[in-house]
Amino acid sequence: MAMTQTSPVTAGWADPYLDIEAYDPEADLMVLNLGPQHPSTHGVFRLKLYLDGEIIVKVVPFAGYLHRGVEKLCEKLTMVQLPPIFDKNDYVSPMMNEQSLVMSFEALLGIEVPRRARYLRTILAELQRIASHLLWLGAFAMDLGGALGGGSTLFLYCFRERELILDLFEELTGGRFHYNTHLIGGNRHDVPVGWDPKVYAALDVIEARLVEYEDFLTRNQIYIDRTRGVGVVDAELAMNLGITGPVLRAAGVDHDLRRDAPYHCYDEIDVRVVTATAGDCEARGTVRLGEMRESIRLVRELLPGLPTGPLGARKPIKTPLAEKASKGHAYACVESPRGELGVYTIGGGDNKGASPYRLKIRSPSLHVLSCLPYVLPGQSVSDAVAVLGSLDPIMGEVDR
Amino acid sequence: MTVLGSPNSPELDQLLTASFEAELLEVGGPPLVPAPRHFELAKTLRDDHGFLIFGFVVAVHFPAGQAENAAGSEELLRVIYGLRTRGKGTQLVTWQVNVPTGGAVPTLVPLFAGADWQEREQYDLLGVRFDGHPDLRRLMLAEDWEGHPLRKDYAIDTRVHPWR
Repeated sequence: MAMTQTSPVTAGWADPYLDIEAYDPEADLMVLNLGPQHPSTHGVFRLKLYLDGEIIVKVVPFAGYLHRGVEKLCEKLTMVQLPPIFDKNDYVSPMMNEQSLVMSFEALLGIEVPRRARYLRTILAELQRIASHLLWLGAFAMDLGGALGGGSTLFLYCFRERELILDLFEELTGGRFHYNTHLIGGNRHDVPVGWDPKVYAALDVIEARLVEYEDFLTRNQIYIDRTRGVGVVDAELAMNLGITGPVLRAAGVDHDLRRDAPYHCYDEIDVRVVTATAGDCEARGTVRLGEMRESIRLVRELLPGLPTGPLGARKPIKTPLAEKASKGHAYACVESPRGELGVYTIGGGDNKGASPYRLKIRSPSLHVLSCLPYVLPGQSVSDAVAVLGSLDPIMGEVDR
Repeated sequence: MTVLGSPNSPELDQLLTASFEAELLEVGGPPLVPAPRHFELAKTLRDDHGFLIFGFVVAVHFPAGQAENAAGSEELLRVIYGLRTRGKGTQLVTWQVNVPTGGAVPTLVPLFAGADWQEREQYDLLGVRFDGHPDLRRLMLAEDWEGHPLRKDYAIDTRVHPWR
């Protein structure tokens, strides 16, 4: 068998560059296209699976079905116009997308954000993390064939709880999915009167129901059989591929930007990083459930201590050309629910410097998906769906 | 995290300039490393300095006649790489490589599997060639797409084939 092994992670992993022509000529290979329109791909994503019986031999992923040219758009619009565009990248956690973008611009322009805005951003980020992980849990339960509670029970339960958080965001910003609440140098919407008790009430409900969902999973033999030992991504492979977030922490690497490279006001609070060791689908689920609890705790700790003061570093900006940057480079990253979401900006582009010259989004989902050619071969097709669901990719962010 | 010069820590810049002939730029971002030393630098950072987590690849296009174009009036493509250490006090290292005219940058795929898709994306959108890449195909756009959209000379305000 001709091996064209050029990848640095060789030990125990499948060869993503396997020459399928040179594979065992006796084998009865079948090519199966999973996607692009398939419910388990969470969007439009195609996997070309080479199957020997039901066992996967080689995987060729195809991304780009949702490519919208956001990076080119960023070079044409001005910096002030961009935050609403970024809501649509990772449409499950738009808050983090806006934050990574405005943080990059603030670094480029040298703007200091007031303490109240930094606190509010932290609270919004943690609420968004709960909502995003809830959506993952529901979608993952669907991927496992409705094995959990029968049909789409858990899916609808999780959407019910996610709704509580979206209602909070709607009251604060006016939008349910696309908030446009972050400005360069501050936040747009201040906390409305009577918002805090609603937050605590929603968190109480979610916390109580998380216990129920954990029982759904950990006491369900079908869930354990479908996830334990399936789709193992170990620490070396994860780091080598640039995978961050829950998938990396499930592999036993204690790495979380909130604690390790604090931004917003994470340096003022104690973030407990949730890790697991197995690196399989079950471990990734454990980590995300733990992170939801941790986020609930953080919001409860932060919200009473929301400092007074201005929400923005300056008066609201009236014109798109108001912010102009000189030639400079800036990179800012946040720990999104999927990992390190970074924005690399080079300033001084079109519109007399009001647009970025070049803007690159480091999307965690793209790195996470690139583990599939290493992990899937040797597993069955039904496991492929479970692995893909456990990685929690958002195609809007992969393709941009 | 802001940068007008280099975003790296002074110790890392010292390492880059002393051992890898890197050139510190006043306003142009991370240190500029000569293309032949680039692979060796990444290997040293990974093996000896704990930069185990692959960060990002950013390619930038400077059309002919741009002021920040270090090579004078010629067209220039530049690639920025980033790597990260793990755990508490995580550090980011970034450096730049100029793509030789008509040439290619040595790929990092033999060191970091994560460079595979990142370099494919930059090839797709900017036309940077990576020497030694095992599978240099387009990642985002269709195989029969013409041109590289993130180049500055790729017009977006006129209809360009193959818009569909």
